[in-house]
Amino acid sequence: MAESASSKVLVIPCSGIGKVHGLMAREATYRVVEGLEPETSDTLCLALLVKGDEEAVAAVRTRPCITIDGCPKLCSYKNVQLAGGNIAESVRVVDAFKGHKGAQPGTATELAGDGWTITDEIAQQIAARVRELCGGEEQ
Amino acid sequence: MSMAEEPIKVGIISCAGEEIPEGTISRLAVRRVLEHLRPGQTVSICLPLFLAGNEGERDFARNFPTIIIDGCDKRCAQWGTEKHSGPVNAAFVVTEMLKGAPPLSGARSGRDLTEADLAAVELVAEQLAAALDQAAGTYTGSQPAAAGTSSACGCAVGLPSGTIQVNGKTIEIAGLPLIFQQCQEDGLAAGSPDTPARLLAVVRVYHAVDDSEEQAYAAALVEAYRTSLASDR
Repeated sequence: MAESASSKVLVIPCSGIGKVHGLMAREATYRVVEGLEPETSDTLCLALLVKGDEEAVAAVRTRPCITIDGCPKLCSYKNVQLAGGNIAESVRVVDAFKGHKGAQPGTATELAGDGWTITDEIAQQIAARVRELCGGEEQ
Repeated sequence: MSMAEEPIKVGIISCAGEEIPEGTISRLAVRRVLEHLRPGQTVSICLPLFLAGNEGERDFARNFPTIIIDGCDKRCAQWGTEKHSGPVNAAFVVTEMLKGAPPLSGARSGRDLTEADLAAVELVAEQLAAALDQAAGTYTGSQPAAAGTSSACGCAVGLPSGTIQVNGKTIEIAGLPLIFQQCQEDGLAAGSPDTPARLLAVVRVYHAVDDSEEQAYAAALVEAYRTSLASDR
């Protein structure tokens, strides 16, 4: 069943500009909201939320949020938390590397093959969580 | 290269808005400037880190002439930078820069970008590079030594760093002098019972600390803070 925009799970990446992990967080988000779970998930500009935009703040408070962070600074998680957001899951890109020792993910500008592979794994993990949150299939 | 020969480094902050295609264009244009058009002359910082950071991050636009690139007219990057760090040298909005250019495809993911999208990245990047040259040419202030290269990591690049000794290892921490300066201004005493936890909490925002090394880090930070306070007397 398609969810209305007001009930979609929000997937919010850090998009860190300095590291490949930030790009992976961003691309994993698009894989989920455009490819795997377009009817039940959406994204939100993190900078708009941090700016204090009323609609963005209301959205993270009323909808389940999944944050994806590229580095240990956890900018997405911390900023959603600061906004009073309803964080259902916090995903760290670095954790996805544990099963990929020696992987060469690419750069902060462009992902290489390993980067896309790991990004897709992250996206699958998040999509499964989205389905759980929407009361659908569980992993 | 001597300090006198160091090029003026210019900061670029991008909104990288995730919801809109223009956010992807802004992010990629900044990466293009960092890596190809003006390598070694450009520093960047993650906007969410800048907006939620402490004085260390927010000194960014005070230490560097700064250019802003926003994806849309909400101008989150410009708003945040000017609010927390002062006036910027130039501010651009992708939607305005691309007026008259072929329309974007609407893609947000790098998987789906078209030739038109990549041409838009180039167009925006070239305007940023020109603005960067202008900002550098008119800058008369002094700059901190940049920590690391601009294209290796944008987080906290350019902030002065400090070192501590943890379990026999020398650890470099970006922004440490600024963290100490802020704590000093807040009246935090080195011997206060709160000091280890407070220093550790601030440092952890920018630097990964393994749980098993918490105590060692806290002790090292207090010692370095004590030394910093003594040297300021």
